[in-house]
Order: sequence, then C-alpha cells, then structure tokens
Amino acid sequence: MSALILISPSCKKFITEDPQTALTEENVFKSLDNIEPLVLGLYTSWRNTKKDRGGFIFTLGTDEAQQGAYQVRTDERQASLDRYSAFLTASNTALAEQWNSRWPVISAAAKVIYAIGLSQDADANRKNRILGEASFIRAALNFEMSQYWGEIPLIDQSKFAEYGTKRQPLNLVYSSIVADLENAAKFLPLTQSDKRRATSGAALALLGKVYLYAPVASGQRDFTKARDTFKKLIDAGTYSLVSNYADLWNPAKPNTTESIFEFQFNNVYPDNNQTQWQMGSRSLAEIDQYAFFGGYDLMVPTKYCYGKTAEGGIWEDGDVRKSESIRYDFTYKGKVPVLNPAFGGDELDPHVKKYEDPRTEGTLSFWLSGKNIFYLRYADILLCYAETLNETGATAQAVDLVNSTVRLRAWNGNLPADKKWNSAWSQQQFRDNMLDERMRELCFEGWRRMDLIRSGKLVDLVKARNKWARETGSIQAFHNRYPIPLQEIKQNDDISETDQNPGYLNQ
Amino acid sequence: MILNLPKKILNSIVLIALLMLTGMPCLQAQTNVTLSGRVTDQQGGQPIPGVSVKVKGGTNGVSTDKDGRFSLNAQQGSVLVISSIGYINKEVAGGENMAIILSSLDKDLQEVTVVGVSVRKADLTGAVSGITEKTIKELPATNINQAIQGRISGVLVQNTNPRPGSSGSIKVRGNNSIRFGANPIYVVDGLVIDDGAFNSINPDDIASIDVLKDASATAIYGSRGANGVILVTTKKGKNGQGSITYNAWAGIQSFTKNVPYLNAQQIAELRIDAYANKFMDDNPTGNRQTYINTLLGTASPIFSQNELQVYRAGDSYNWLDEITQRGIQQNHTATFSKGSENGSVYVSFNYTDQKGLLKTSNYKRYGGQVNLEQKIKPWLKLGSNTNFSRTNESYIDGGVFNIAANANPLLPISGDIPYLSWKGIQNTDLYNPIRSLNIDGKGNLNRLLTTNYLAVTPIAGLTIRSGISLDVRNQDYYNYIPKSLGQSVRNATSGSATQKKENWFNWQWDNSVSYDKSIGKHNFSGLVSFGLTQNNYNYNQIDAYGFATDDFSYKYLGGAYLKDRTQLGSDFVTNSLISYIARGNYNYDGKYFATLTARYDGSSKFGNGNKWGIFPSLALAWDISKEEFFKSVNLDMLKLRAGYGIAGNQNIPNFAYNSLYRPVFSNGSVSYVSDGRLGNPDLVWEKQKQLNLGLDVGLLKNRLIINADYFVIHNDDLLMERTLSTTTGFRNTIANVGSLLNKGAELNVTARIIEKQDLQWSVSLNISSYKNKITKLYGSVDAIYNYGGFTGVEIQRTGNLFLNESLNSIYTYKFEKIAQSEDIERIKNINYGGHTIKPGDIIPVDVNGDNKVDDLDRIVVGKTDPKLYGGFSTNVNYKGLSLNAVFNYNVGGKGINSLYDGLMNGSGEYAGHIDQLDRWTPQNTNTNIPRAYIGGSRYSVSETDYSVQSTSFLRMTALTLGYNFDQALLSKAKMTTFRLYLTGSNLFTLTKYKGYDPEGGDSYPTSKMFVLGLNVGF
Repeated sequence: MSALILISPSCKKFITEDPQTALTEENVFKSLDNIEPLVLGLYTSWRNTKKDRGGFIFTLGTDEAQQGAYQVRTDERQASLDRYSAFLTASNTALAEQWNSRWPVISAAAKVIYAIGLSQDADANRKNRILGEASFIRAALNFEMSQYWGEIPLIDQSKFAEYGTKRQPLNLVYSSIVADLENAAKFLPLTQSDKRRATSGAALALLGKVYLYAPVASGQRDFTKARDTFKKLIDAGTYSLVSNYADLWNPAKPNTTESIFEFQFNNVYPDNNQTQWQMGSRSLAEIDQYAFFGGYDLMVPTKYCYGKTAEGGIWEDGDVRKSESIRYDFTYKGKVPVLNPAFGGDELDPHVKKYEDPRTEGTLSFWLSGKNIFYLRYADILLCYAETLNETGATAQAVDLVNSTVRLRAWNGNLPADKKWNSAWSQQQFRDNMLDERMRELCFEGWRRMDLIRSGKLVDLVKARNKWARETGSIQAFHNRYPIPLQEIKQNDDISETDQNPGYLNQ
Repeated sequence: MILNLPKKILNSIVLIALLMLTGMPCLQAQTNVTLSGRVTDQQGGQPIPGVSVKVKGGTNGVSTDKDGRFSLNAQQGSVLVISSIGYINKEVAGGENMAIILSSLDKDLQEVTVVGVSVRKADLTGAVSGITEKTIKELPATNINQAIQGRISGVLVQNTNPRPGSSGSIKVRGNNSIRFGANPIYVVDGLVIDDGAFNSINPDDIASIDVLKDASATAIYGSRGANGVILVTTKKGKNGQGSITYNAWAGIQSFTKNVPYLNAQQIAELRIDAYANKFMDDNPTGNRQTYINTLLGTASPIFSQNELQVYRAGDSYNWLDEITQRGIQQNHTATFSKGSENGSVYVSFNYTDQKGLLKTSNYKRYGGQVNLEQKIKPWLKLGSNTNFSRTNESYIDGGVFNIAANANPLLPISGDIPYLSWKGIQNTDLYNPIRSLNIDGKGNLNRLLTTNYLAVTPIAGLTIRSGISLDVRNQDYYNYIPKSLGQSVRNATSGSATQKKENWFNWQWDNSVSYDKSIGKHNFSGLVSFGLTQNNYNYNQIDAYGFATDDFSYKYLGGAYLKDRTQLGSDFVTNSLISYIARGNYNYDGKYFATLTARYDGSSKFGNGNKWGIFPSLALAWDISKEEFFKSVNLDMLKLRAGYGIAGNQNIPNFAYNSLYRPVFSNGSVSYVSDGRLGNPDLVWEKQKQLNLGLDVGLLKNRLIINADYFVIHNDDLLMERTLSTTTGFRNTIANVGSLLNKGAELNVTARIIEKQDLQWSVSLNISSYKNKITKLYGSVDAIYNYGGFTGVEIQRTGNLFLNESLNSIYTYKFEKIAQSEDIERIKNINYGGHTIKPGDIIPVDVNGDNKVDDLDRIVVGKTDPKLYGGFSTNVNYKGLSLNAVFNYNVGGKGINSLYDGLMNGSGEYAGHIDQLDRWTPQNTNTNIPRAYIGGSRYSVSETDYSVQSTSFLRMTALTLGYNFDQALLSKAKMTTFRLYLTGSNLFTLTKYKGYDPEGGDSYPTSKMFVLGLNVGF
C-alpha cells in the first residue's frame, strides 16, 4: 500500500511516452530549422506524383497517347481513362489516387505558409524564401487540380472557418493561385544551387501559364498579363534553348539552361521513377529485364502522334524531335523481337522514347529508370509566349519567334524554307498549327490534356485520334473535367453528392 | 461428408449416453455387497498405496495395498470416503471394481497466478476452460498452441504456417477487433506476454493451461483482456519423495499431401491447345492443325527447342524433389523436483530439434525452467519461476518452395542456370530454387522469462504480495545472398547481407493485498492491487551490398563495397501501463457465488485526458445441485453462471494520438515527411461489452460433465484506421469508429464411459462457434475496400469491410457457369467491361441485372469464418496399454484457393492442376473446367469465386498407442514409471479443399509425423 501512495504522484509521467524517433506536428512547425526540411519533403512528395503509373494517368485518354492494348484489357477502371466508358465514374480509383496524392502536399504547404506568418524568427530572408517555396508548391498543385477537376477546395489555415474544405468558385481558386505565384516570384531567388528547389523564374513561368490556361469562366484568363509575364522572364535572359534537342533526353546532361524546373530523379530507389517500366515494350521485357527500352506499355503514342504528315500524323520530314521522342526500332543486341501472340498486338508499334534511361542497360532493371522529368521547360515558355503574342494581335511576331527558336532547333539550326511557318497566317491558322507544334515539342511531358481542355478541342481530337476513345465513341463535353472521387464525397462533410461535376454518376 | 459432422456428433453423444445407462446398472436394493476398486493418482495414473477407504457414517474401513487396491463389505448404496495425505478427500458411491482417482492437494493444481496474485482456480468465475499436463502429454507438441489445438472450446488454433518452429495463429472467441490485436495475451506464472503466438515455453514444463474467455474472467487484465487470456502455470516440485523424469520422443516427418500437377507432356498439350484456341478465335477461318504443326516446328513461337525435345522424349522433371528432405524431429526433457512443507523445487532441461522438410531449414531450442518456492518464516514466503530458452533457426528462402513446386516440368533439372524458364525464356522472378538453397538465413533468439515474488502473511487470511517479473528477449536475424545467385545478379548487388537485431525488455511490478474470511456459511475474499508495466523495444537493421567473396557470408559487413546502397534502420519504442485492480468474491455455502472486479488502467498509448479507462465486471453463479430441493434429483452438479463485463484493447500503433513527421533521406539530403496519418488526441480504449451465460452439468457421479456457454460481445469504439478526405492534409487517422457484434456458443462434453479396474474409456468433445458482423463503420460509409493488384486499383477479394457482413468475408464476382455455345446469344448484350466470353470461358453473374458487369456486381460470396470448430478425443486404457486419439475439425468456412487459381490458368505457360485434363473442349462440353487459352481478355479463374472452396475438414491430429510397464516390475528397477508410446500425427485429413491444406493455406504443405516416445520416472 505504501508503494501505491509513493507512486501515484508520478503516475502521469510514467504513462507519458513521447516518440523517440519522430517529430510531432507541433515540433515541426515550431522552428524554421524544422520547417525547411519539411518543405524539401513537400518537393519530394510533389515529385513522387510524377513517378510511375500515376505520373501518366492524366496523359492517358489524350490525342497524343493511349494505353497499350495489353494494359487496356487488364482493368476496366484504368481502361476507362481512354475509353471514356461507363467505368469512368466517381468510384474510379485510378483517378482518386491522383486526387489523394496531391492534397496532403497542398495542405502541408498551406500549414507552412500559416506557420511562417506566425513565426517570431528574426531571419526575415529565410522566412521569405520558405514562404516563396511553399507558395510555389501550393500554387502549382492547385493549378493542376483545378485544371482537371474545376472548382476545388482552397486550403488556407487563416481562412479555414470561412473556406472549410468545400469547392470554391473558379475565380477565387485562380486568384489564389495568382497571389501565391506573385509571392513566390517576389521571394524566391533567381537561381538555386539545390536543383530540387523552385526559383523566381519558375514562379514567373508558371504565373504566365496560369494566365494563359485559366478557364475563361474564372475571369482570370488574360493574354496580356500572360504575355507580359513571359516577356519579363525571357528578357531576363536566364534561360536558353539547348542547341541539340537530343541533349534534353540525355541523362548525363540534367538541369540544362533550358530547364526552368525539373523533378530530380536517379537510379537508386526511392529516387528512381519507374517511368520506363510504364513506357517500354513488353516484347523487350520478355527477352531481358535489363533491356533499357523494355517495359509494360502503360502508355504508347497514338498513331497521330507517331505518324508522318503524309500518313495523317504530325511529323514533317527532317524534324529531329521525331526520333528523339518516339522509338520505332526495337532491334536489341542485333535481334528483332518476335511478337508474342498472347500479347496485345501493339507491343512492337512505336513507343515513348523520352523516358528511356540507357544508364540501366545491362546492369539494372528498367524499373530503376530515373531520368529527371521536366515540369517547366524554356521551349514550352517560348511557345506559350508566341501564343500570347498571337492572341494579342501580333501573329507575325509570334510566327517569327517560333521559326527562330523552337522550329529552328528542331531542324538542327537549319530550318528549310518549306518548313518555316508563314508570317501571313491568320490568328486561327496559328492556333491550329500551335496545337500540333506543342505535341511535337512537348509530347508525353504532361501538358497535353490541359492544352486540349483550354483550346476546347478535347472531345473532337481525342475521339478522332485516340484508338480506344474512337472505338467507343463515348467521350462527351463533360469529360473536360474528371469526377470528384466518391470517397471524397463520402468523407468530406463540405462536399455532397450534388457537388459532383456534371455528367458523372456518384457510383 | 464433413458437412454432416454436427449430426454425427449429436449421434455420438446419444450413443455415449446410452452406453452409460446400460453399462451402469442402478444401485438400489439394500443388501450387503463387496465393494472393491483401485485408487490411482490423477497426475501420473500410478496406484496409491495406504489410502484410507471408509464407509461414510460407518465404522468399517480398510487401506489400499501396494497396487492401490482395496475391497470391503458394506451395505449396497454406501458412500465411501477416500482419504490420503497429500490428496483431496473424495466421497464416492460404492461399487465393484471402482476406479478411484485422487487429485493431488498440491497447490499448483489448485492455484494459478494471475497478474501478481495467486488465486484459487475456483475463484476464476466466468467462462474458463483448460487442460492439465495429463492432456498435454497426449501428443508430442513443441509449443503451447500445438498443445491446446482442438482441446479447448472457444479457442481456434490454426497451423497457418507449417514451417519448423512456427506456432500458428490463435483466436479466442473469434474476432473482437476489426483492425488491431486479434491475439490473446499469454500470462505465464503471472507475467503478461502479448506478442501473439510465442513458443519459448516447453510444454513438458506446463502444469496447466487455462483460457479465460469472457469479460468476467478477463476483467482482471482490464485493458488487455479483450482478445482472451491464456494462463500458463508451470510445474512445481511436489510434496514427498523427490522425483526425476526423462521424456523423449523422436519423429520422422513427411508432407501430408502434394497437389497433383500436370506433367511435362500434359503441360505441353495444354499450351498447344491454348495457343490453337487463341489462333482460332482470332482467325475463325484458319486451319487449326496447320497452326499446331507450326507450333511444334523448328521455329516454334511457343516452345523452345529444348522443351520440344523433352516433350518428344516423354520426360518430365520434378523440381520439388530437389529441395525436399526427410524431416526429423526430436525432443528431450529431463526434470528434477522435490517438495516439502516449507518449499519446493522444480528444475528442467529441454532440447528440441526440428529438421524441416525443405533442405537447410532447421529449428533448435535449448531451454530450462527453474521454479523455487520457500517459506523463510512462517509468515514469509518467496518464490521464483524462471525460464530461459535459446533458439537457433536456419531459414530457407521464402520463395523457394513455391518456385520449385510450380516449376516448368519441361525444364531439365540444373543447378547452373540463375533463373527458371518457360518457353526457353528465363524469368528473372523465378530464381533457381537449387541455387537459392545457398542463401544463408539464420535466426537466434534468447529469452528469459522470470517472475519473482515475496508474500507476507501477517495474520491468517491476509496476504501481502509484491512481485517483479521480467521478459527479456534478444532476437537476431541474418541473411546472405551469394553473388552468383539470380537475386544478386538481377539487382546488381554482388552479394547482399542483412543483419537485424531486436531487443525487448519488458518489466512488470505488481503489488497486492488479499484477504480471505469465512463467517459461518459466508465466505469472503477480497483483493486490491497496484501494478506498473513497461515495455521497451528497439531494433537495428543493416542491409549491405557488394562483397568480394561469399566466404564470410553475412558476417563481415565492413567488407561491403557498394557503400551508397547500404541501408540502415533502427527504432526505439517504449510503452507503459499503470493499473489498479479491486476484486471481491463472495459465496454462500458453496451455493451462491458473486465476483465483482474493477480494473482501472492508464496507458501511454493514448493522449492526455484519454489515458485512463475503467473496466468493471460482475459474475454470478448458482450451484442448484447443492440446494435441498434438488438433492433428490440424480445430478452431481448443476451450476448456472452469468457474467457481464467490459474489457479493453489498446493494441494500436504507437503514438497514434500525434501526427508524426520523420526525416527521410532522398536525393542527397534529408527532408521531413509525414507518414500520412493524422494524430487523433481523442483516441480512447476499444471497449468490449461481453455477456456470458454458462451452464455446468455433472451427471452419473460426475462421469459425464457438460459445460455450455453462450456469449454476446458488443465491441464498440473499435480502433480503426479510417481514411480521410485528403483535403485534411492526411490520408488516414486512427479513430474509435467501428462496431462489431460477435455471438457464439461453446459446448464441452467429457464422459468417462468405462471405469473398470483394468479398463477405462473416456471421451471428450468440444464444439465452438462464433459469428461476427460489422455493425458500424464510420460516417455514412458502408464499405471499405481493399485495393491492390497489378494496377493498384483493383478491389481485392479479401480484406474488404462491409456493414452487416462478417469481418472475414470474401468479395468477388460470382461464377455462373462455363459458357456453352448456346449461352453466347443470351449474354451478347451484357457489357463485361472489356472482357470477352467465348464457349468454354467463364461467365460471371450480372447480379443486379443491369446488363453491365462492374463493381456493383461483386458480392460477398462467403466468409472464411468456420460455422463450427473444435475437437474430440478418446482415450482407452487396458491394464498398461493405452490408445488415445485426438481429432480436430472445422465446418462451414470458405477459403480462396489462390494456388488453385494459378494452377487453373489454362495457358500451359505455368504449372497446372490435373483438373485441367477435363477442360472444356468442343467435344467435352459437360464440364466445369474452363478451356485452354492464352492472352486475350476472358475472365480469369481468379476474377470470380471459381476457386473459393470449402475449408471444412476433419483431421486426426494424433493417434497414440502407449504402454505403461507394470509397477511391480518397475519397483525392482527403482523406477516409478516407464512408458513407451508410438504416435502418428496428422495421419489423415478429410477435406474437399484442393490446396495443400484447408488450414495451413497454400504456400507450404502440412506435414505428418511418426513418433516414438519414452517417459521414464525415478
């Protein structure tokens, strides 16, 4: 009994055990020394959404790429991303996974922004830089989410009582994205020695794109602002095209002058990205797991994307981008693989080449492929800038810009006269050609679905060019948005069944 | 056959009852008769000489002779009083050739130690079942779970992992938690061990095992009792002469069965058929035979030339034979014990060696037990129970069996190739099993379990006791994969070594005051207790790659040269628990019983404000047979029991009340990353409200004893990982959200059918059932799906949770039939989501009839829970000879046979089951076996419930024939016992399940064993 009395006062202490190998949230947000590695962690989490299968979900079902024939018959939920079939509904878990992998990053970025606001730390420069980084990350992800899902929740700790987690009007969403990017452009440095981190250039580039890509309904699409933002970036002269297009895909040459922001990967797990596993050919995988262009055909180019103009495709004679972007020849170690009759049939049709990682050849499985992945590339900005010139009435200037930069490089600095764009083109002619030019320059880099949505051509072009969508013919206007995941509707008290994007069933 | 079992069991009960009625003529007439019999010890079955046998209420009495026999004249209907020093007195109705068994007065049989308190077993109210060493001896077991499998109602032990040294899974009264902690706790001499199945205690050292099943019995364990408690009491030295025993057995093991595989020719023909079917589907006007000829030609696209050679030569290769060996097990225990008024000592040494059925797999345990008890002063006693064990294991790489069993029979055996191949194409997943035998896997475990106490009795009836218990465990795991193996080549590791070292240090300090008092017919006992428990765990692990030589195996990590691939891991975790217990027992004249228990626990697993929980329980019992008005009824016992209580569960991940961030090294620097879980400071204990109703009946001089229990368990506030809207910033949290209702019944019947001097026959049987239903998930969620598969987004067949369904349900498409040509027209308008169906393929049921087979057409097709399970045994003794059989059974459960799934794929590019010989062909349409096919988009066997099979079984767990040498002969050799026995374990299993074993699953077959054993006592 005496023991009982002796021990009682220290009871509370006895049964209080703090984690010895983890930081609690309270600890993390208490000091800049902890917030900074947290922000680095957010870059990593964001990067990881670009990895593996998930990194290509939004590119499936476009006019440049589609699932391989073997993959499309494995799981109907995944297949519906190309087929736009009745399986593309709120319960589509392939999409839900993309939704779910992004919100924790947005939310943590929002917490950082909030915590910086409260921080008493005296180092204002450091605080500003962290604020700039968190703002950039939140803006980039909000932009991506809103492009695909429309109205999205805005996570803002300081306005949580007002916003909650309900879907906000597009105007509010895009003005928040703009505000974040303006902050980022203001606070981020011009260059970062750590290539994982964003720069003010990246913030400007993305801000310009946001003005260009924002839905008309948001009231934020503004070609003039976009043009001026791009011009500011270009005039600063920080970035330039690499002269040899092939260098962009050479893993020995990462983070070139053309790279405004790219996701950093390597060949060691967990920093590999498995992209080649998804892009390569099953016929090669069957022969040798170390064949650097083997894989499992998650995504293959559409015929439109790999064909020559004469065959109804996009490729003009002499364009060096064709053979750098797409693999046509599957000869491996002197042998041409035989198509296994049990496969889907398209395993030896042209495949995506941009993610091939020759460093793995013969020594590592293509699962360990890990080239960097572009997010913002200067060539993209030049094309976007040209678009804004065209949209603001300077079509001839826009044509000159494309001829003298992106297309010039595509013909190795020697653009033949018949491949030059005509400065007498109408605004609409320029738009139409630009949509193809963007595919030639940027195919499989993740911008295609957004380009189709903003140009209003998703339904027509996908129905015409995507093999599986053409087969079903069921793509409709409402497919310009993805369905809000069913689990979100069930678990988020601020989003009800009636908040679903039109056209989708809550099942 | 098995489904009829319950009826059979009922029949046997009736039969047993009839036997007893006819075999035991009633004793009525009042005439003088000769009463005779033999008195034996319950423990060892040895005769007891010098026992006093008196007629109750009379004067005449005799003593037993050296063989324990007696004979005297008395009136018919007399009651005999049997008494002997060191034994409990017994009153029995007189008869001829009576077999009287006396129980030792030894405390270890009467008392068990719960947390820091020694209590009489009789005081454990509520649903308690147990076995004693006598039952444990009946079969050669190397761990506790084996010893109780099928022997105790309400306890489901499954040999889910038949590898040497593993101890299987155990569940008491089914599932009582959705996600966390389904294992009961083990309490060894008062020390609480909650690491599930553990196997460091030698069954030979166990005096009794009691399973506490309901809340009134487990209440004393409060926060940790929700999944049941297994009380293990080890042996103590006995009063009287010292004794030495030696028990040994050795056995030879083999697989109970193997799956019938297709041989090389059958596989080749299946493959040809599959490709030809595919060809004809794609080219309806093509020529099948011409195509087949090309398949068999020199440029065959589907066979390598080597395969064709094997096919034509009529050879077939069995890779499994290359990695199997004859399993040999042996077990030796020597014990030394002695006791006196003032103390006792028990010391044992044990050695177990199990050589597995797969080459290189081996398990060895060296152990010892020292139990001491000594009175220092008349009012002061101290005691210690200490167990030490050392286990050495040698592992075979986990994938080896599967790869070997499913290897290509067209591939000649060779240890030179790194990977196995099909069609001549090496598959880098199929590491050559012969080479994998060179993987050096070792594991060692040192474990010390010790409980030590000091008890003071200042006045009669009052005991103050303080005890310290330790559970110290050090476990090492080592592995080395040589450079030349496929595993190393594929991952470019040039040899990989792993070392993992884990340490547990758990201590428990218990202090109690108990007081017993009887006033007239009122008997009181009370107990208050205070305890502290702390569990500490830490581990470190190193994975190193790149070795110049294989010679040093995993032993010299410093020599690893691929430094940037080195992986390090470690963690330190501490949990602590404070508990207060109060309990009062009251009984009136042995007729009315009441026990009130309350435990108040504080745990570090929960956040501030929610650390404490109270767990009360009440148990009542009424022994009707002791009532006057019942004396005339011919019943020896009729006890009604009712108990209600609340138990708890705190088996949740550590620090779940906090959101945690950990440093992660990625891309050259460290970043902090959340684990995705939102900390929930509101977490409280899982609460289990349990009602138990019980009935104990003793009939025919207690020769037939029936115990029945019925329970209803409401599990509320169940701790579950609930997924969150990710807009919260997290993917999931642990919350008290689910509810699970669990109901069931248990029946235990023991009958001593024949009790003659030279012949005894006893039978015991137990039947248990449980049925669980999820009654609440969270929010408006009525289903939580388990996604996985190739794309990561396919709903899996198990692991899903549905409201109003069992926790263990199987969810998939229902197999309707194999399509015949006439079906095609009927189904042509149904959208099978990209699947095609041709004659010979599987048609799934469009459950909701909307002409679209999608996720809405998946249904619960069954559950893995058995409807009934249990065991029965029979024991016949004739003079020195004994025959004992133990069975266990399981009725009404379903299981997914994933092995069969794979073997029925019909491609001929993977191992096949011989059922495929009866596959659908245009000529053989009256069959349920799908046609051969490769590629394409038909439904695979595993997409429907095609291979969901009954897991009902009846197994003869052990059949033992023993012989006890004659006592007279032994005493000349100064021996007290000499017994030889022969046991066959797992001799047969009746089941319709087509995998290796309905219980053990599909990864590894169960083994059977023939054992020769010996017990010697001096």
